[in-house]
Amino acid sequence: MANTFPVGFSRSAVEELSRLKSEPAWMLEKRLHAWDSYERMPAPLGRRGDLGTLRIFSNFKFQQLTPYMPASAGDTLPASIAQSLKEALVDQRSGLIVQENASVLRTELSEELKNKGVILTDLDSAVRDYPELVQQYFMTTCIPVESSKYTALHAAFWSGGVFLHIPKGVDIEDPILTQIWLSAPASGLFAHTLIIAEELSSVRYVEEHNSAFEGEQPSLFSSVVEVHVKNAAHVEFSNMQDFGQNVWTITNKNAVHEKDGSTTWVLADLGSHAMLSTIGVGLLGNGSAGELVGVFFTDHDQRYSINTLSDHAAISTNAETLVKGVLTDESRVEFDGMIRVRPKAQQTASFLSDHTLLLSDACRAESIPGLEIGANEVSASHGATTGKIDEEQLFYLMVRGIEREEAERIIVQGFFEPVLQRIPLENLRSRLRRSIVRRMSKGYEGALDTSWIDAQERWEVEGVDEYAISLNSPAEEEEIQLAEY
Amino acid sequence: MESELIIKNLHANIEGKPILRGVDLVVKKGEVHALMGPNGSGKSTLANVVMGNPKYEVTDGEIWFKGENILEYSPDRRARMRLFLAFQYPMSIPGVSVANFLRRSLEAVREGNKPLEEGDNPSGKMAKRKSIPPGEFRKLMQEKMRLLKVDNSFINRSINDGFSGGEKKRAEILQMALLEPEIALMDETDSGLDIDALKIVSESVNALRGPNLGILLITHYQRMLNYITPDFVHVMFDGRIVKSGGPELAFELEEKGYEWLKPSDEQNGVMVNG
Ligand SMILES: Nc1ncnc2c1ncn2[C@@H]1O[C@H](COP(=O)(O)OP(=O)(O)OP(=O)(O)O)[C@@H](O)[C@H]1O
Ligand SMILES: [Mg+2]
Repeated sequence: MANTFPVGFSRSAVEELSRLKSEPAWMLEKRLHAWDSYERMPAPLGRRGDLGTLRIFSNFKFQQLTPYMPASAGDTLPASIAQSLKEALVDQRSGLIVQENASVLRTELSEELKNKGVILTDLDSAVRDYPELVQQYFMTTCIPVESSKYTALHAAFWSGGVFLHIPKGVDIEDPILTQIWLSAPASGLFAHTLIIAEELSSVRYVEEHNSAFEGEQPSLFSSVVEVHVKNAAHVEFSNMQDFGQNVWTITNKNAVHEKDGSTTWVLADLGSHAMLSTIGVGLLGNGSAGELVGVFFTDHDQRYSINTLSDHAAISTNAETLVKGVLTDESRVEFDGMIRVRPKAQQTASFLSDHTLLLSDACRAESIPGLEIGANEVSASHGATTGKIDEEQLFYLMVRGIEREEAERIIVQGFFEPVLQRIPLENLRSRLRRSIVRRMSKGYEGALDTSWIDAQERWEVEGVDEYAISLNSPAEEEEIQLAEY
Repeated sequence: MESELIIKNLHANIEGKPILRGVDLVVKKGEVHALMGPNGSGKSTLANVVMGNPKYEVTDGEIWFKGENILEYSPDRRARMRLFLAFQYPMSIPGVSVANFLRRSLEAVREGNKPLEEGDNPSGKMAKRKSIPPGEFRKLMQEKMRLLKVDNSFINRSINDGFSGGEKKRAEILQMALLEPEIALMDETDSGLDIDALKIVSESVNALRGPNLGILLITHYQRMLNYITPDFVHVMFDGRIVKSGGPELAFELEEKGYEWLKPSDEQNGVMVNG
């Protein structure tokens, strides 16, 4: 079925989209209201003298995009997606959503979780089936429609999406996985994730963003992630973004917490030509806590603008932000990390650190720390470093026989390792390690050499102790004797 | 091919400042040479230049190893020819485990600089490496760690990260024992070691000592030489070797210091060499 949706964003496109989805009037109204805000609001332009990522976005040709692009092959999964699903958290996941372009193609949830009352569905269905919840939580208090011009556009054109509701006291230990695929050029994909974790519940949730299309004509990925963390609930949200260079990404993520609620954000960004990413931790309830662990790797002429906000608005809240990134070629990354402590937020502890490693002369990184402190019983700190690989470290490894390219790779892996260690999901950690090696090895020919990581992970599990010696097979011993001098 | 290291009239600068000003030295397999000399005389510079540290610029002279002029070779290629340096100040590399690094290093050194395909290998690029099974490697490490009385947990740690001064030095010798070099440069391995550690390290160096290993032992103190008796002792002064002799020279230095060896202007150019 060919897509006949007209190119370009407009009020009538909003109406057409809502009509296609047979939406209730309240949602159409919400979309139209958002559209008016989008038209009225100015695009953010950044500051004079910054690296210019926001300005690049303001010049993006939005009007050449198709706002609504259904999946390419109807309800069946394209081969590349089916393949990747085989590798992603198989046997470990308790739920799955696959979205291609504007359509959710698959939704699965374990019987056990269904019986416990967990709701996992696409957001289009939730609008129909759970209108009260969506009306209450969709782009209201967590990420309001008018947070920025781009969130307004998102609210007007969102499609597909994830709705996850975890009832009181339910723990979801095996992760729920969402895969989002962009498979068409010149289109906008507006994916929305809405998670509501009720009192004393917990969930591990993973989102993976990939693209599968060729060509120069860019597509836009616009994502809004809203997480509502109720009393003493915990949400672990991991996101791995690995889009191709023909994708522009704008994402807004925020988690709002009631008393003693907590969130862990794990964010890995490797792909996209340009990315504008905003991540927030809203600590509105006493004793709530947020943790953000982020890694990125940019090359070619990639442009990232990463903005984090730890917003302390209650008593005795904690936040820790730890971001590490590596840049090479002509890529540029701006990192803006804000700690805001509101006047009544006594006994706040908030820490932020941001470390970047520059592998080329032409790449640029800029880090802007922000501290707004309105209370007096506060412990807050911000640390940022930017530097090149230490030549003496390289020399040390090379004097032990290791070639320069590999020595660089080893140092970069070592640089990331402390952050990777903080990623709770082993599967994600392991895939991330490999992705980083792949990115570092792009100049290499032949198969990816992962024996370094293989050994590391084996040792991580087994330890390097005497008891493990017997694991060796005799055949391996023979091979060694041949190599002996 | 004779495994000897031949340094001829070596001149080297750092940041435009001449440090080595005509070093001549030959270290053969099976020999132990001690290199002594006051602070700042250029001993570490010599070791670094022999390994190819790009920080230094060689302005004159030659370095030959196993019959090849290695001046243009990268540090890793020199290492794969089985030249080794135990650093005076070993670098720490956070996040990289000793086990993984050393396994990689051992693979590289064992593989050497074999041709990529048929014919010679002018670029010195490494051939596809034969991987050492992690289990086998572990066994080898444990053997060496026992020899050096190093705690097992050591190889799970990051390279030199948070190691004490003495632990770093011991780790260097552990690497030397593992990588089995033909010529090893040991830069002040004795400094920072307590008496027990000094004894352990000296004993393991003596255990490694033999017809297949040549050692250049850079040191300030007689105390290591009490354990490891050198075949030759050299004194470096201002970027040159100004005196060479047998083990008794070290005792003489201990007694008289370096001042009497300070070359006067007329003496320049009249170098004694063992
Ligand atoms: N980066 C540098 N820039 C300028 N001079 C340097 C630099 N590094 C070393 N030098 C100088 O080179 C000279 C030789 O230093 P080197 O480390 O080789 O001495 P050394 O004989 O090993 O001394 P020590 O016994 O203290 O270890 C010293 O005068 C030192 O100050
Ligand atoms: Mg020195």
